[in-house]
Amino acid sequence: MTESSSQEINVREKQPLDTGGIESTSGEPRFSPMVDIFETEEGLTVVADMPGVPADGLSVDLKDNVLTILGKVTAEVKGNKFLVQEYEMGDYYRQFSLSELIDQEKITASIKDGVLSVKLPKQAPAQPRKITVTTE
Amino acid sequence: MSILRWRGPGFPGSILELERMRKYMENVYGTLASGVNHIRRNYTGVFPLVNLTEDDENLYLSAELPGIDPQSLDLSVKNDTLTLKGSTKVEAEPKEVNYHRRERDIGTFRRSLTLPAKIQTDAVEAKFKNGILNVTLPKAAEARAHQINITT
Repeated sequence: MTESSSQEINVREKQPLDTGGIESTSGEPRFSPMVDIFETEEGLTVVADMPGVPADGLSVDLKDNVLTILGKVTAEVKGNKFLVQEYEMGDYYRQFSLSELIDQEKITASIKDGVLSVKLPKQAPAQPRKITVTTE
Repeated sequence: MSILRWRGPGFPGSILELERMRKYMENVYGTLASGVNHIRRNYTGVFPLVNLTEDDENLYLSAELPGIDPQSLDLSVKNDTLTLKGSTKVEAEPKEVNYHRRERDIGTFRRSLTLPAKIQTDAVEAKFKNGILNVTLPKAAEARAHQINITT
């Protein structure tokens, strides 16, 4: 607490999404959100900064061990003339490949104050199967 | 870049060449910067990044503040200077945690900026929704555009 309260937040621009040369048809900017990922005995938690995304604009999907996060921004811009523009608005998209086996049924996601939190519980470890070796 | 014949020091050509180099470097850096983000103008390097728009009645300031504790947000306007302060929410983490990635920043911030118009400091409204702060700053009467009737 004392450590974090004395530390100043560094300014960082939003990372434009790396699409590997494939352009979007809409031409609107898309961003790769900053994330924290941590692991406990029980599972993985992915925390992502997605300001401007409401709960109904969120889509979290796990398929073939690939976690996909998509956040659609809904924020109105008031006024009719830009005096200062330091950031752009756009949807957020990011994918992660998971090495752990995840219990798909128990994945939960929530978003509050522009921060997405996805909890991915691990599957119960497979019981080691004892193989008896028979001798003839 | 073309090669210019050297005609001794002080000859305008050498100065022109320096100027040409300066412009060239500016161009290179400009392109590099615009490749990352083409809206670098007014970039101050202080968190948070803001957008400021206006219409006839108001100035509108917005800032993206994901993970900032709404309780910690402190906004003040004095004359034409707006100051925004706050800190990230401190979450209790489970003990046995291994971090795979840690990209999100934690800490405090403080930013002041000069507003381009006089405003009614007692009528400022601020809303924090989905991690975005929106501030409406009504312009003072003298800062508003007046329609002047032209008599003929």
